[in-house]
Amino acid sequence: MFHVLLALAGHDLHGYAILKEVALRTGGEVQLSTGTLYGIIKRLLNDGLIVAQRDRPAAIHDDERRRYYRLTPKGRAIAAAEAERLEKVVALARSRHLLKKAQPA
Amino acid sequence: MSENKTQRAAHRATHRFRMLLRLFPAEFRGDYGPEMEQVFAEQRAAAEKHGDKIGVWRLWWETAKGIFTTAPREHFAMLRQDSSFALRMMRKNLGFTIAAMIVLGLGIGANTAIFSVVNAVLLKPLPYQHGERLLTLNPRTDDGEVRRFSVPELMDYRRQNRSLDGIVEYHNMQFILLGRNQPEQVETGVVSWNFFDLFGIKPLAGRMFEPDDEKPGAPAVLLLSFEFWTRSFGGDPGVVGKTFRMNDKLHTVVGILPPFPQYPKHNDVYMPTSACPFRSDPDLIANRQGHMLRLFGRMKPGIKPAQAEADLSTVAVSMQREYPKDYVQDTPLHVQVTPLKTELTRDARPTMLFLLAAAGFVLLIACANVANLNLARMVRREREMGLRTAMGAGRVRLFRQLLTESFLLAFGGGVLGLLLASSALQLLTTYVARFTPRAHEVHVDAQVLLFTLLVAGFVSIFTGTAPALARRENLSNTLKEGGTQSTLGVTRGKIRSALIVAQVAVSFLLLVGAGLTVRSLINLQHVDAGFRPENVLTTQISLDFSRYMSNQSMLSFSDSLLAKIQAMPQVTSVAMSVAFPLDKSPAYNNGYVIEGRPANPSEEKPTAEFNVVSPNYFRTLGISLSSGRDFNDRDRPDKPRVAIINQSVVRHFWRDESPLGRRVSFDNGKNWTEIVGVVGDVRERGLEQAPKDLIYVPYAQYPQMAPSLLARTQGDPMNIARATVQHLYEVDPNQPAGRIQSLEQVRADSISAPRLTANLLGLFALLALAIAAAGIGGVMALSVSQRTHEIGVRMAIGAHPAEIVLMVLRQGMGLVLAGLVLGLAGAFALTHAMTSFLFGVTSTDPATFVLVAAVLLAAAFVACGIPARRAAQVDPLRALRSE
Repeated sequence: MFHVLLALAGHDLHGYAILKEVALRTGGEVQLSTGTLYGIIKRLLNDGLIVAQRDRPAAIHDDERRRYYRLTPKGRAIAAAEAERLEKVVALARSRHLLKKAQPA
Repeated sequence: MSENKTQRAAHRATHRFRMLLRLFPAEFRGDYGPEMEQVFAEQRAAAEKHGDKIGVWRLWWETAKGIFTTAPREHFAMLRQDSSFALRMMRKNLGFTIAAMIVLGLGIGANTAIFSVVNAVLLKPLPYQHGERLLTLNPRTDDGEVRRFSVPELMDYRRQNRSLDGIVEYHNMQFILLGRNQPEQVETGVVSWNFFDLFGIKPLAGRMFEPDDEKPGAPAVLLLSFEFWTRSFGGDPGVVGKTFRMNDKLHTVVGILPPFPQYPKHNDVYMPTSACPFRSDPDLIANRQGHMLRLFGRMKPGIKPAQAEADLSTVAVSMQREYPKDYVQDTPLHVQVTPLKTELTRDARPTMLFLLAAAGFVLLIACANVANLNLARMVRREREMGLRTAMGAGRVRLFRQLLTESFLLAFGGGVLGLLLASSALQLLTTYVARFTPRAHEVHVDAQVLLFTLLVAGFVSIFTGTAPALARRENLSNTLKEGGTQSTLGVTRGKIRSALIVAQVAVSFLLLVGAGLTVRSLINLQHVDAGFRPENVLTTQISLDFSRYMSNQSMLSFSDSLLAKIQAMPQVTSVAMSVAFPLDKSPAYNNGYVIEGRPANPSEEKPTAEFNVVSPNYFRTLGISLSSGRDFNDRDRPDKPRVAIINQSVVRHFWRDESPLGRRVSFDNGKNWTEIVGVVGDVRERGLEQAPKDLIYVPYAQYPQMAPSLLARTQGDPMNIARATVQHLYEVDPNQPAGRIQSLEQVRADSISAPRLTANLLGLFALLALAIAAAGIGGVMALSVSQRTHEIGVRMAIGAHPAEIVLMVLRQGMGLVLAGLVLGLAGAFALTHAMTSFLFGVTSTDPATFVLVAAVLLAAAFVACGIPARRAAQVDPLRALRSE
């Protein structure tokens, strides 16, 4: 679920794009299937974390079945909160020498 | 060409993917299906582009996995949402909810209760080890008489059969148990040492019988039945090892039996054959004609009852050949086997299935009723439904919502039904015990719970589908003003009417069934049984044979007892007999010869049932003496043998002449007995059974070990019960009284099964009537409220209130009449299945049909009358304004 929010943090994306984005960003580690993805999308929609966009970016030729999803401010806040929480967890793990020092990029 | 192929493959893939999507709830599919298809198509195309077959396969695998995990979650989420919405709706319509739950609870409760009996008695395997392989063995003779086996026969069957891995014997005696505060008459089962092993019954305490217990001269041992142990010894395990005097011998209790269905009779104690003074008699053991044993066998694995029957009959025929003197030679001897389960449930099966059908009918009516309530409610919810449709809820979605609501209602009804059923279980067990020894196995268990759940499921589909079906496609006008009057209203009105007609029809069926049963019960209660049961006390006695060895001693016992009882001021007449009407004692049937009428081989030898009675027996029981005389004090052992016959014998053999002074012989002409009197016919074996030929002989000439004392009293006969026992102890302090009952009680008990059946059926029918009447009233009330406008117009243009009443009544009663006609047709088709339950009334008894129809019409009339009156009170002005 978090991965979907992360994927949408950059741009509005349609379903397939979310799948690709998640796979790309996780180096192929997280491969969502359509069923799982739309289960998540439904929940995020219900909770008001994302919205489906009717108007689409000036598209070249786009399938009309496609819907673009956008992070709502609430969704963004939640994603940020989750990221912070993870950051703290990582920092804690590091302080316990469970992880190597962060490599400067 | 290749592009074409790719396209086709893509098409096929989309199709398959759609199939997978069907696993999702329709709503989810509607919302995301097209998008998911599109995403999947792109994923697939990407995988194909790489020309990577494995990638495509992996995609399919991952997709399927995802759908299989997500879809149930979606269904569950939806169910939760539907349920919480349904619960909200139910709270909002509390009146409807409670009414529907009660109606369904009654319907489901009736079914659960009856099913718990059917399940325990008819469906479950016998609670014996290998119960399905157990048989009862019966020698069959041509006259259809139930015969028993003799000891030499048992030995032959044991030795020569090839189909059974065990045959055990059983017979029942009444013995007197001494060693407790009072002498006690105990029902005793006399059995083979391995009787309980064959049934797979293990002792609750102590041990079972062992082979040594059965050896001649072995110390006498006893097993106590669970019921006797708890009743008489308060469940004290210390009783094992104690000794009691019985039949002038010490008997040691070696074990306690667990509770189990005892067949053919409920016994207090069991003893091995060597302990029974009759069964251990060497003369009896050697006597091939001493038929006193019942046999049970267990088939070897894989053997069918028919094979066992053929095998045992072969043994029988060879016995017949080997001992020509002991068997009639004209027809081959035959052994009939019956699976024990059939035997144990034979009496219960028809009644229980019949009641289950009746309960099913009650449930149908309850369902139809709640479906109607639902439909009526839908009128009010039309706006809500329309709104939800407009907001994008599909038909399936709404259907699902309605089903969820119905299921919650049905579930509530099911819980209520379970409560009702379990509270009625005790009553039901007592009732069922009249039919089968398996009654005590009746419980609410997992199967019953499952059944209730299934019934609730059926109910929710039935009650939820009707309103859902009534919502056809076109919903657009429901949102418009006055939408409730749309075409939808018409469809729904039709379904409602049909449901009313069905309810009336099924109610009629149930009422007719109950009516016939009740009439037959009334007939039974009023049948002239040939005796007057009021104010007669009956006391069964079983003499201790170890002290009453001679006819003389038995006679002096009966003489002194009779004299003492006769001397009581409340007693007007007293007698002794071996049997009295409806006492369920085994019949003594015997052939006899009439003097001067040589037996014609082509004709049947006259046979009759015998009873041994003291003087005043007929006076005490109120049996009429038609001619001749009663037995008197001069008919003693040393005097000429005399007999009294009933009218039935006269009809058969002395139609044109007086039987008085004629002689009959019971031992093929060695001794002759003179007929001195004729008495009226008595229904001895059951109020529903026509009297048979019956010959009475004097008690003094044939003293009996197990007589009954009969006393006619002034006032309640039970008042002298205690004094009677006192007198008995005065005559013999070691002689207990057996069962003491008033003859009226005996008579009432003899029809308790049909009475309880009639009560249950009557209850079901009244339930059905009440539910159906309420349903009719409700629907008419709704119809009136929907037609308020129309009625207002009619009144405004001058219709008289009476016309309005008539209009409403006509509409309602029209439906009722239609239901009645349907019910009548159904009744003619179905009631003949009841014939075997009926007495003195045909299954299409016109009086019952008319009466039932009248009751139904009256109830429906009242139910329609209330809304009709309301219709007539409509204020035209307000009605017109309301639209």
